[in-house]
Amino acid sequence: MRENAPIFGFNRDRARLRAETVARVLEQSQNALHALNDACYFEIRRLDGAKRPKDVAELDRWRSLARRLAKMDGDERNRELVRLVEDYAEDIAGNFNPRVYRATASVLPSLVTGLLSPRKLSEILRNPAQLVGLEALGDEVVVDGDLELLRRLAARGTLVFVPTHSSNMDSIVFGYALERAKLPPATYGAGKNLFTNPLLSFFMHNLGAYKVDRRIVHGLYKDCLKAYSTVLLENGYHSLFFPGGTRSRSGAIETRLKLGLMGTGVEAYTRSILARRERKIFFVPATINYLIALEAETLIEDFLTDAGKARYIIEDDESTRPGRVLAFAKKLLTMASSVVIRFGAPLDPFGLEVDAEGTSFDAHGRAVRTPSYVEGLDGKVRIDAARDGQYTRELGRTLAASYRKNTVFMATHVVAAASFEHLVEVGHGADLFTTLRLRHEHISRDELARRVAEKRDRILELEQRGEAVLAAPIRTASGGDIVAQAIAAFRGYHASPVLDPEDDGIVFADPKLLFYYQNRLARHGLAYDPDARMAARAGASQIRREPGAGA
Amino acid sequence: MTRAGRPWSVGVLGGGAWGLALATAASRAGSPTLLFSRRSSDASQSRFAWTHEFAELAAAKLILVAVPSHLARAVLRELGDHLDGSHVLVHGVRGLVGSELATISQVVREETPVRRCGALGGPVQADELADGSPSAMVVASEFAEVTNAVRARLECEHLTVYETSDLRGVEWASALVGCLSIGVGYAQARRNVSAGMLAALISRAVDEAVSIALAAGATEARTFYGLAGYGDLLASMALPNRPEIVLGRALARGETLELAREQTKLRVEAIELVPRVTAFAKARGLRCDVFEALTAILDGTLEPASIVRSLFAH
Repeated sequence: MRENAPIFGFNRDRARLRAETVARVLEQSQNALHALNDACYFEIRRLDGAKRPKDVAELDRWRSLARRLAKMDGDERNRELVRLVEDYAEDIAGNFNPRVYRATASVLPSLVTGLLSPRKLSEILRNPAQLVGLEALGDEVVVDGDLELLRRLAARGTLVFVPTHSSNMDSIVFGYALERAKLPPATYGAGKNLFTNPLLSFFMHNLGAYKVDRRIVHGLYKDCLKAYSTVLLENGYHSLFFPGGTRSRSGAIETRLKLGLMGTGVEAYTRSILARRERKIFFVPATINYLIALEAETLIEDFLTDAGKARYIIEDDESTRPGRVLAFAKKLLTMASSVVIRFGAPLDPFGLEVDAEGTSFDAHGRAVRTPSYVEGLDGKVRIDAARDGQYTRELGRTLAASYRKNTVFMATHVVAAASFEHLVEVGHGADLFTTLRLRHEHISRDELARRVAEKRDRILELEQRGEAVLAAPIRTASGGDIVAQAIAAFRGYHASPVLDPEDDGIVFADPKLLFYYQNRLARHGLAYDPDARMAARAGASQIRREPGAGA
Repeated sequence: MTRAGRPWSVGVLGGGAWGLALATAASRAGSPTLLFSRRSSDASQSRFAWTHEFAELAAAKLILVAVPSHLARAVLRELGDHLDGSHVLVHGVRGLVGSELATISQVVREETPVRRCGALGGPVQADELADGSPSAMVVASEFAEVTNAVRARLECEHLTVYETSDLRGVEWASALVGCLSIGVGYAQARRNVSAGMLAALISRAVDEAVSIALAAGATEARTFYGLAGYGDLLASMALPNRPEIVLGRALARGETLELAREQTKLRVEAIELVPRVTAFAKARGLRCDVFEALTAILDGTLEPASIVRSLFAH
């Protein structure tokens, strides 16, 4: 059945999808002059001062267009607009190579094994008969959730996977999880920078990713992206979006979602009704949980650097360094349950849960006629950008709640939380940066084990209320065992030790990384929460002020 | 469908003074209106039609909810069986529900399939609305479609409807003004509270209310400084018969809460709300001296004379 997924016919379909995208964007941009002016303004601003010859040439083209615009007549402008939209659509539309897909899907585990020993990889590639089955990763990568429900929904509508985002490995790991779960592959919009990443570009180019150039910010380009995504959804292409927008910098689970292309879900659904071939859209939230995080060092540094907050696109992190990816892969393969992908309950575009038939249900379990959400008071179905924007914001809140419930806590997170709690106590509640500068504090093994066991028990309580999930390996382990698991996970991956075992105890060697890993528990009130502290401080200073004193 | 075969453009849920006033206003604005009430009706006397059936009410796509907050959950659950995603619910209920202080729009989401909801607020009084004397109200919804529909179906020459997207802000403002009105009535009845002192108390109280509303998810402080907050509170000050004011005055005379309640005739939702809001504010580290004082007034644990002193102590 999965071989029937539309993505396998993508290359046949590509020209039509692209033409549909172009037609839709042109239909929406009623004012060519305005659209082109806007594009010129933002592109010239972006490229101004560029040094690379390619960028300089592009800058010249935009400047020339900007000069000519005023003198052009309507037809010339329209031709210019068509050309631009066609170029963008061509650039965005991806590629899907079924051969690469099938090969990667079955080879990926071996490929990763191959990374461990390049000689072995070449051997495998010469003799595919040696392929290790997908089961090879069976113990290491866990895929959790109501998979049967998702498989049935895949046959009834378009699935939109919306997982958490913390690593550049996410799309590959998630693609692998879909294969493992016998779910159809999904197309996704990936940052253009990933297409130049030497390690990832191969997958990006061939597994159905389309290109999103996050440096281009003008409206016409965004319209092209949205239109392309909408057209894909209408045509049944299961899709993958990261609603967080960019990787979580702090390591915390995402609470404020950027939504981005998620909004295309309501529009695609509405258009399908208007075209009298209703095609349902199902959003599938998921959490991707890593025992160790590939880019932890860069991301937490970025989070802690104020200036770094503007660094939206990071092109030089661990995911571009073969040695680090290799070390990461090695960890992934040697630790049990090192990656857990957990699917939450699927939702319609209006945030209602759905059953295997694709029927939507309200909070009281009543079946609801889905098209009713896009009908106006006059009973007519119509596209309404303002309404759909609000539906999507609400869906974002529902997703955030799903992420929170489905976060899987692992040894590294729990041990980091217990450790950081101790650091905060040692620092007598000093501010975050002072705490992060504490060096070589140490704790007795028994004390750390006791704190870890206590945290684990609190997570178990949350789990019983359906508010979190505890990873299997630490479910019944003793505090001391959990600490040992975390130390083993950290060792050999991070450049310097995170926790350093000594004869008389354990040294907190890297408070920043402990902070990164403990942040995963922060939203559950089980660890130091930097956001909550900051909010409380801002609130406190506001209320100390007497009424009117600020005026 | 209306009896003439046209669809109802406004449904009103609740046959109390507020529900009747809303139905009258909608009819006056030219909207065919159907009112649901469990009471017996005198349909021949009114401009709008009556029903006792939720299923009939659901023929109207825009439904204005005017039931007391403590009944809202049960009524909405029942009505919810007849609604779908195309309905728009806009409530004019002053109050927050349960220990978690849910707004009525949150209850709508929990109890019905409706996603597009909104709230009415502001200083307009039921009798003004019913009489058609010039007045103003505010409608809040995160859906522009909802505020537009309410304006189109309620506004007329004598009624201006302002709009905002700060739904949570309007809902909390309405509820908090109910609480503060008790304090206004109380202070008005104390001889030693001068006009200047009353104004200082109110400003102080509003400042507290704003930070509480923001903590509860109101999107902007301006909402409280507008019709739904200050506007409504100013109306209270001029309305000696408003239940909260009557209650506050009775308490200021040293009467017990039981006795004071009997004089208000209508249910005062703020009585239960005041201690819950105080707990809410305290749990978030917000300053809430006025709300603490109100709690003490309702408990009868604070001597009237010491209240002002405690509020302005350094």
